[in-house]
Amino acid sequence: MIDRRKFVGGVAAAPMFLAAPAFVRRANAQSTLPIPGLYSLSGNFANVGSAMNDGSAWAVEQYGTVAGNKLNYMLLDDRGDVGEAVRKVNDLMAVQRIKHLVGASNSAVGLAAQREAFLRGGIYVHQAGADEATGKDCNRSTFRWTAACYSAVNSTVRPLIDKYPNAKKWYTITGQYVFGDSLLSNCKEVFAEKGIQHLGNSYHSLSDREYSGFIASALATSPDVLAICNFGNQTLDVIRQAISFGMKRNTKILAVWSTGLDQFQALGPENCEDVYFGCNYWHSVDSPGNRRFAEIVKKKTGEVPNYLQAAGYAVAQMLMEGMNKANSTEADAIIKSLEGLTYEGPTGTETIRAGDHQVIKDYYLMLGKPKAAMKDKNDFCDVVAATKAFLPVEKTGCKMGV
Amino acid sequence: MSIQLLIFQILNGIGIGMIYFLLSAGLTLIFGLMRFVNFTHGALYLLAAYVAFALTRSGISFWIALLLAPLTTTFVAIVIERLILRHTYRMAHEAQILITFATALFIQEMVILAFGPLGQNVSVPPQLSGVVFLGPYVYPVYRLAVVGVAAVVALLVWLLIERTKTGSILRAGSEKAEMVGLLGINVDLVFMATFALGGALAGLAGVLAAPLRGVDPFMSAEALGIAFVVVVVGGLGTLSGALVGGLLIGLVQSVMSSVWPEGAQFMIYASMALVLLLRPAGLLGRN
Repeated sequence: MIDRRKFVGGVAAAPMFLAAPAFVRRANAQSTLPIPGLYSLSGNFANVGSAMNDGSAWAVEQYGTVAGNKLNYMLLDDRGDVGEAVRKVNDLMAVQRIKHLVGASNSAVGLAAQREAFLRGGIYVHQAGADEATGKDCNRSTFRWTAACYSAVNSTVRPLIDKYPNAKKWYTITGQYVFGDSLLSNCKEVFAEKGIQHLGNSYHSLSDREYSGFIASALATSPDVLAICNFGNQTLDVIRQAISFGMKRNTKILAVWSTGLDQFQALGPENCEDVYFGCNYWHSVDSPGNRRFAEIVKKKTGEVPNYLQAAGYAVAQMLMEGMNKANSTEADAIIKSLEGLTYEGPTGTETIRAGDHQVIKDYYLMLGKPKAAMKDKNDFCDVVAATKAFLPVEKTGCKMGV
Repeated sequence: MSIQLLIFQILNGIGIGMIYFLLSAGLTLIFGLMRFVNFTHGALYLLAAYVAFALTRSGISFWIALLLAPLTTTFVAIVIERLILRHTYRMAHEAQILITFATALFIQEMVILAFGPLGQNVSVPPQLSGVVFLGPYVYPVYRLAVVGVAAVVALLVWLLIERTKTGSILRAGSEKAEMVGLLGINVDLVFMATFALGGALAGLAGVLAAPLRGVDPFMSAEALGIAFVVVVVGGLGTLSGALVGGLLIGLVQSVMSSVWPEGAQFMIYASMALVLLLRPAGLLGRN
């Protein structure tokens, strides 16, 4: 028979039993944390997006859990379309209420997504190169791993001018979009400062794949150096076609921004030889962070890592380092913990500058070597210079979205 | 722009135009003879380029690849035609486009699975590396060879279609298939042969393009885009139209690269719009 004491205890416990499923559901929901990556799996940047997506997914898998949450990587495919990217970020942050995001396959997507992340009170870590990302368009929500265009130009054009003081005549071929323009404007500033004659620039659209006409225009001016201000497959095509037109005979070729190993493989040693490349990452850099990353890539692919995988890995790593330090998944707490954070990244010790949310890291000037001098199948280039060239925060124009 | 540069850009434009003709020859041939919009054309071009890459990477000579890659795409074109496309001949163009587009995507994904999404290099054969001098300008020997191949292909295909019994059957089959059938000719086989020829031309274009631009799994869309512009400008279904269209587009692109570089690509499409406005059937097309 039930006594009074048991009856009162049972009545008191009943609401807890009734509420239990909700607690259980919430506990389960919190135990799995989606880490979304915004990449292009089709369109002009699909080859880039695919490898970056791999890098981010591997980082999430390696960390496994952060701040007590089991991680689950989730791809947002923007299909190379800025509008699609904005819609997906909006849906992620406003509808699904997931406030953190990593990745960008190109600058146009990165800049648009970082505005959206800021408006929605999220946190976004990306690898777009345009100066504006941590310059005039910077905001509190956004962090950028890759070097800015300023860094790329000042880490490649300056050392090359110093190495060849008599090479005074430069010609540029530029992809006409925000990133190409950003590289070009930085080149022009260095040219003006160093007394370099800028013979001319050929803009081309993002859909161009035939560059012989632009190369003929460049050849007509007899430049000492041809600087290519672009990124991705178009850079490869310009290099390949410039070489086929015999440009290496009298002209140095510099790809201010390259993606490193994957592009060297796509060009082959005969096209890399004597060409200068700017790179954000190189697989043979000996550092604890790079060794750890190289092991993951070796396990996954059996190969050495390339820049695209490294960039994808790095942005996810930054977000998760921030979550771990904050011991929280709230955007505000992660932002605070990331500002000023120093960690072992793929290029060595990397530091996130609090003033503009830019990662301070090396940018490499590399020179393609002859096939006969390659020590292994990936030994395409020598590192000529490794430079941390970043604008002081006060000159970046960054106002943190104010 | 100096006169010298203009002359060079015109010569270069003719070179580009011949390469574009090679890209579009198979596409226009299939449309002209069968009234079939073949979106697998770009995928066969892609497949041939990767066959060339795989063979040369294994140490096999580019010259063998030049033979084997078009043979491979010819075989694949026959398989696709027998298994899928012959069931679509009586369908609307929209259905044909959807089915061939899906087939093209399937081929592209297979290439990504086999070779990965990143670009790869195919070296220019040593016999054709280097440049020739045109006054103060240089022109790659390999490009010159491709232009030569395109010219030979134009001549051979024209002779085949216009001057041989096989060509007569192909043309008759496209005009009055039932009548040709009543004459005891296997029209089904004629259509298959047309696809095989289209596949061989796409394959030849792919293997020749590989050393020019490398290979990547997304090269098919770019080739298909330019091939459609060329055949629309020249007139859908006419081989001579593809030649004229290719040359016009090549010239516009090359000359505009110096006159208005940022608008060179735009001018390709502006030229197409202008041609369609003045001659809706294309420069050499029949209404």
